[in-house]
Amino acid sequence: MTDAVETKAVGPALSITGLRKTFGANEVLRGIDLSARDGDVISMIGASGSGKSTLLRCIPMLEIPDSGTVTVGEDSLSPKGGRLTRAEEATARRMRGHLGFVFQNFNLWTHRTVLQNVIEAPLFVQNRSRAEAVDEATALLEKVGLAEKRDAWPAHLSGGQQQRVAIARALAQRPRAILFDEPTSALDPELVGEVLKVIRSLAEEGRTLLIVTHEMGFARDVSSRVVLLHQGQIEEDGTPEQVFANPRSDRARAFLSGHFDRTR
Amino acid sequence: MEFGKLALLGFGPEGWGLVLVRAGLMTLAVSVAAFVFGLGLGILIAWARIGGNAVLRRLAEVYVVVLRGVPDILVIYLFYFGGRQVVTAIGTGLGFEGPFDISGFVAGMLAIGLISAAGQSEVLRGAYQAVPKGMVEAGRVVGMTRLTLFRRVIAPQAMTTALPGMGNQWQSVIKETALVSVTGLVETMRQVSVAAGTTQEHFLFYAAGAVIYLCITTVSDQIFRFAERRSLRGHPQGGM
Repeated sequence: MTDAVETKAVGPALSITGLRKTFGANEVLRGIDLSARDGDVISMIGASGSGKSTLLRCIPMLEIPDSGTVTVGEDSLSPKGGRLTRAEEATARRMRGHLGFVFQNFNLWTHRTVLQNVIEAPLFVQNRSRAEAVDEATALLEKVGLAEKRDAWPAHLSGGQQQRVAIARALAQRPRAILFDEPTSALDPELVGEVLKVIRSLAEEGRTLLIVTHEMGFARDVSSRVVLLHQGQIEEDGTPEQVFANPRSDRARAFLSGHFDRTR
Repeated sequence: MEFGKLALLGFGPEGWGLVLVRAGLMTLAVSVAAFVFGLGLGILIAWARIGGNAVLRRLAEVYVVVLRGVPDILVIYLFYFGGRQVVTAIGTGLGFEGPFDISGFVAGMLAIGLISAAGQSEVLRGAYQAVPKGMVEAGRVVGMTRLTLFRRVIAPQAMTTALPGMGNQWQSVIKETALVSVTGLVETMRQVSVAAGTTQEHFLFYAAGAVIYLCITTVSDQIFRFAERRSLRGHPQGGM
């Protein structure tokens, strides 16, 4: 097991340089540079199709970039030609082990109970002992407010509850950073709050978070940094005050005013 | 039919009961052997169609098309009579003395297993493709190896989808074993026709044969239903 304090001393938690990704004729990412220090809470905003979800998915190599480099802790990958070699695949697995990933559609394993979902990676990827994994999972479920659901099946939970289980599952990996891909977009409006509350508590604990979101108010409140993507490039990158109050570009201003007009 | 004729089905000195039970067990034995052989081969074919290279994939496709497009009885004849010929040719070629034979059990098991493999591979492939992509991604993203991903996510998910189809394949295998009677193997079909011919009680013995098949299929249907219900635990549509 790596000593978390020791790894945190060196370099950024994760960094991305020169990332490009094309789907067919559609150039989705056009040279992205981004890095996150430990404790950063970075919200990635932008219109649909701006590439923010693709960018997030490139970090654990769920999408393989065409070019560019992704570094997580000490592991680094610069895949060529949209494929991973066998050796690169092993590096990617190590990188994934240091990252939690929370999907828009939760993607809990429906054939496993809530507790089994949370202990799966600790047991079958990290080879930790069952007793330890169960203890930790129980504490994590308590933290997300679902201790009493530990033996329930995912299909019997609400969307908000499923997403909180998914967050506990990500935390159980003891990740250096957690990536959220529009974590509340698939939820009924009344369930959004409970999930945002959990994410906010993680931010307050000083965890490193990258959040792709359409919740502008939330992004403004919890982030240490906001990144605005436009057509596969970073258009704005700064503190919430800078980006929301004084966007430098006209495009950012247009996007933000449109958004706040609609939601406020 | 007077009541006394039922004694023919009993276990007394005149009765065929014991013989019929033994024939039923033989049907079950051929079925299990053929199904298991078909499952092993079916897994390989499904794997070739999903993950193989172009050549393997094409071969597997051709296999399925051929085996599904040829009458089952022809495959059995091919193995029993054709197989005997091949074994004889190889045997004499190696300088052994005849006569060479291939047992009805082995020929039947191979033939029905090969036929069933085609159907089972289709069921397995469909089940694999029905595994929700998001759950596979969730496994990849926590750092699972391909093997762990298969064992912990894909296989259990696919099994739920595959079970009803595999139940149907098993039922087909049981019924197809009746064709193996042409090889002289004393399974249910063969035994009831012998008994019917000997006693001239055709209706009685063929009805008894139907009951034997129904017993086997009904019991296995219950087992598959139980397994299905268990595997559906946690799914919205129910289970226990």
